[in-house]
Amino acid sequence: MVERRRIEIPSGVKLKESVGEETKFPFEISPMYEGERIRKDDMFVELGGPTQPKFELVMALPVDQVVDMKVTLVGPDLDEMEQGKAYPYAMVYYIAGSKIETDLEPVIERRNHDFQNYIEGYMHLNQRYDIWIRIGKNAMKKGLKSLIQIAKATMMLYKNELPFIEKIEAVYITDKALVEKLLKEVAMPIYEERDRRVETLHDEDVSEFYSCTLCQSFAPTNVCIVSPDRPSLCGAITWFDGRAAAKVDPEGPNRAVPKGEVLDPIGGEYSGVNEFAKQESGGEYERIKLHSFFEYPHTSCGCFEVIGFYMPEVDGIGWVNRGYPDPAPNGLTFSTMAGQTGGGKQVAGFLGVGMAYFRSKKFIQADGGWYRTVWMPKALKEKLEKYIPADIKDKIATEEQARTLDELKEFLKKVDHPVVKGVVRPVDGKKITNGWVEEVAEVAKEEEKPAEAAPATTHAVTQPAQQAVQQFSMPLVQLPQLQLPAASSAPAGIKIIIKDAKITIDKVIVRKAEKGGK
Amino acid sequence: MTIIAVAGKGGTGKTLVSALLVHFISKHTSRLLAVDADPDSNLPEALGVSKLVRKTIGEIREAFQTSRDEMGSMNKEQWIEGKIYGEVVCECENYDLIVMGRPEGEGCYCFANSLLRGVLRKMMKHYDYIVVDSEAGLEHFSRKTIDSADYVIVVTDASMKGLTTAKRIKQLMKELKLGVKEIFLIANRVYSQEAERNIRKFADEEGIKLLEVLPFDEEVAKIDMMGLPVTMLNESSEVYKRMKKVSDFFLKLKATI
Repeated sequence: MVERRRIEIPSGVKLKESVGEETKFPFEISPMYEGERIRKDDMFVELGGPTQPKFELVMALPVDQVVDMKVTLVGPDLDEMEQGKAYPYAMVYYIAGSKIETDLEPVIERRNHDFQNYIEGYMHLNQRYDIWIRIGKNAMKKGLKSLIQIAKATMMLYKNELPFIEKIEAVYITDKALVEKLLKEVAMPIYEERDRRVETLHDEDVSEFYSCTLCQSFAPTNVCIVSPDRPSLCGAITWFDGRAAAKVDPEGPNRAVPKGEVLDPIGGEYSGVNEFAKQESGGEYERIKLHSFFEYPHTSCGCFEVIGFYMPEVDGIGWVNRGYPDPAPNGLTFSTMAGQTGGGKQVAGFLGVGMAYFRSKKFIQADGGWYRTVWMPKALKEKLEKYIPADIKDKIATEEQARTLDELKEFLKKVDHPVVKGVVRPVDGKKITNGWVEEVAEVAKEEEKPAEAAPATTHAVTQPAQQAVQQFSMPLVQLPQLQLPAASSAPAGIKIIIKDAKITIDKVIVRKAEKGGK
Repeated sequence: MTIIAVAGKGGTGKTLVSALLVHFISKHTSRLLAVDADPDSNLPEALGVSKLVRKTIGEIREAFQTSRDEMGSMNKEQWIEGKIYGEVVCECENYDLIVMGRPEGEGCYCFANSLLRGVLRKMMKHYDYIVVDSEAGLEHFSRKTIDSADYVIVVTDASMKGLTTAKRIKQLMKELKLGVKEIFLIANRVYSQEAERNIRKFADEEGIKLLEVLPFDEEVAKIDMMGLPVTMLNESSEVYKRMKKVSDFFLKLKATI
């Protein structure tokens, strides 16, 4: 972690200091001013913005290192600035309080935007190293003289609105060299650290998840749960976005969902999520596992960027993104599968996800994650390349290697994909599939439902998957392998190969005895 | 904040009406926002400011869709707001202009639109007048990217198609529940007394107030053909004079509220 400490101010620079609360400000402070745009013609000066170095930063420090309500201004103040010009700008806040942790820094930092926009005649845009401030001529006319007044007003708002801040101190900098130096040496490493946090923060590290009901208008039973390890399936909302939205509008579309008790750490099942799901889906769903493909999977609203589909023939999972127009090896296109799965349904065997979920360390971990993945379009695979474990990367087929199940089967066998001999899920080292067990059965049933013709399975995981695929394959998938023997309808001399009867949808393949080809 | 939506069948002259409204109202206040909400129109050209336009809302929305995964823990609403304020809002001489741009592509835009709505709502309340040049389908109103309209001006020519569209817009406006106080009709390129009688009859039957009848104007046609801004219209032109009257009507309307 980047060490948090007070900024060192080089000797010899111009410095102004002020301690204590201000009682009177020459400007109004009200949420009414939020969103006010200061036009170039009405602008006194611009701070930061497209042409100047700039940043804003909140740092949590031990309580004895923060001088409450102190402002230090390094560099020229407003009265030394020339009208119409742009200047470098950094706003650094030190905060302290018994409840304040480093993790809270970004949450507090983003409020700088809100609070400063409450100030009449002061426009604050963007965040971090992109901030862009305009101070209006009207503010100067009304008596604004110093950036210290701005800092004091902002700190006052911080303390009023976020009472857990016990002490706050500000350092504002307009000195170009210092802004540039601190941006590079202090601020950037901290922003980068925060972004890395997105990838290192996990479900177990937080006490609440967030819901999203933005899509409920067309998917009434959809229950989107956004956790650190599971971004929304439209791809737009991360746990951080959910937290930010819930803080602003707790009753809005993103609400806090307390995790409750952990019921299944691998599948990602939590009592709080289940309760929420029951309530939000109108009783339709009682359980949801965040990182499971087969067992009580997350509902799919219709917004998902990528849909996963189980292929019993190879006992593996394929993924196809919205932009891929051709049928996947299972013979179905994205839109066909999406049409069946969308609308807020929980359909085992199909799962809509966001692109960002592939980055998750818990990516369908209950069902083997990447090691159960057998196919995805080339473009999607390339996009996700750096998140695919090296030892499986080349074993996942794209449309270049396989467009049909037969080609896929050939490919997987050739590269010795884990599904062939059995998948061991990395999360706990448990072997979850047995691989392709080929058996020869004697009886040939004609046009019977294939899944039912197969021996019953004992594995719990397969139950929902079986139902789902059955449901699906009946009206939609005329599996090519099945059609052939059915047409010939000659029981004698036909082999029925039951593949992988132990694990998944048990599927029957009928072949001519003399040749193993089709 | 008074939102005036200008709508009508394509080619009836709603951009002419919008541009002249902006032109006249901006002489009274700089707190005026012009919105080009018709992907098929060219309000910036009509105003002679197309060189100032950098990005459209649609482009920002697309950029958001493709870069959101790389935003780490950054705040996405602030990201969108910064792009709109910094790159979409174009500061014209005495008013601001935004171009909504192309409609959404495939995929889910729920979140992007939800953020967009919030930002636009916050931004719009700081303007005294907002003039929206909108296509007949009123897409941005039905999606609530623009969530209300105080007055609607339906522009029509003398054609049956123009009038039918006017009727449809009136119906749609009602269904959208935008809090519309009144719907007005402006007839454009009216070349005969018979055509005018026809339009007046339509307005009476539909209960829409006919605000102004603009005659066919050689000069408008010429400017149109040469692709020049309509703000260059001669002050003695009939269309110019009558649109000034319309603008004064709205300025007075606001003053009396």
